[in-house]
Amino acid sequence: MKTNMIRTVIGVVALGIALPVLAHHSGGMFDDKKEITVSGTVREFQYTNPHSWLLVDVTGDDGKVTTWGFETEGPSTLTRAGIRKSDFTPGTPITITANPMRDGRPAGTWSRAIRTSDNKEFSPRGGFVVK
Amino acid sequence: MNRKSVFGFGMAVAAVAVFAQAQAQGIGAWVTKDANWTASKAALQALGERYATSDALFDALKQAANGGKPLSFPQLAQPAYDWTGIYTRTAGGLNYDPDLPPGPPNPSGPASARLTPAGLAVVKAKAEALMKTGGEFDPLSKCGPPGTPRWFTEPFLKEYVVTPGQTLLINEMVNDIRRVYTDGRPHTSEADAYGSPNGDTIGFWSGDMLVAHTKYLNSGQYQRGVQPNFSDQVNVVERWRKVNPKTLEVDVWSYDPANLAKPWYTRQSYSKLSNDDYNLRIRYWDCGENSNNTIIEKDDGTSQFKDFSFVPDDAAASNDEAVKKAAKAAKP
Repeated sequence: MKTNMIRTVIGVVALGIALPVLAHHSGGMFDDKKEITVSGTVREFQYTNPHSWLLVDVTGDDGKVTTWGFETEGPSTLTRAGIRKSDFTPGTPITITANPMRDGRPAGTWSRAIRTSDNKEFSPRGGFVVK
Repeated sequence: MNRKSVFGFGMAVAAVAVFAQAQAQGIGAWVTKDANWTASKAALQALGERYATSDALFDALKQAANGGKPLSFPQLAQPAYDWTGIYTRTAGGLNYDPDLPPGPPNPSGPASARLTPAGLAVVKAKAEALMKTGGEFDPLSKCGPPGTPRWFTEPFLKEYVVTPGQTLLINEMVNDIRRVYTDGRPHTSEADAYGSPNGDTIGFWSGDMLVAHTKYLNSGQYQRGVQPNFSDQVNVVERWRKVNPKTLEVDVWSYDPANLAKPWYTRQSYSKLSNDDYNLRIRYWDCGENSNNTIIEKDDGTSQFKDFSFVPDDAAASNDEAVKKAAKAAKP
């Protein structure tokens, strides 16, 4: 899949509001003032505690494939958000938006993802809504 | 008298009135969280302050309940004791006191906590470090339990199991269970006591309220950000009640002479989650099952991911010296 990477600087958001409640670590390694959006195919959905990781293969303009990792909440919070392991089987084409790592590694914290096949949006942060 | 003073005086008068009402009803009376909550909360804070120690408050509550009444199995069928279901914290985020508004942290700590000079110094140091580095290191990153009283604040699933002899207070995260013994046993003796994350908890039933006392706790912090620390001298008195079919509330008084000049009263709340499709289940929480979640504490006190399985060479990909250092140390 062709790379479609957009780097967008968004407004300053107060510390502790922009990032989700992270189970076992501070979110300081993510840049809450930036969002990136990439398109690719799911390599693996690691549905684990305390955090899950969605690994996505992204093909660059030069044809090189980079695996990106997107951290999100653990299984129970994802379940509350309506995100199941079967929603992102290997090979699923998606476009995902995240706050990127500050240190340059290809990773970020998952804000929202759109599954290409049905244009359905998945937002893990909805998992903290009490309902 | 300025507006602030008038407001303060009015609050004090209202708190005295609520406190007097509680006294008239007996100190063991449950106070509903309603439109008068600010005054009611002040009265509950005053109730805690009336006793020098958590033991004294717990004993007074027990005396007010005439020693408490054992719970029977038939009673468990009554709605007040049916705490079944899966719950989560109703509100609060990273604030230990859920009444405090979300947003940028107060550099002097939570407004409702009366800190000792040492406790305040800790909070201010945290605020300065956060301002300077933008990050922090949470001891939970080492996969240990939050410990009580932080236990109240964790935002994941909770479950409660009420039996006549003990009530289990279950936090999904790291399979963290607190046991409240209500079979009449006393605390472990001082001579045999040892500290642990959730300490030693005994309790009794006062009508439909579960009153509990916890001591022999380890030190920790109430939450991340600029929440205070608690020492291993912290003791906690709790009073749980099912206030409606979907909500459990608990009065919590924390006593900690090292960090708190006065006991810290808060009302915590847990909401029962809809689970009509039964998909929501509490399962074993293995904090170490995914190496991508391994966190290192940096020299500046902040956090960083150690090593990603999906990055071929983390040291080359990262501009963080801590990652490069960790990669070098990991080489045989």
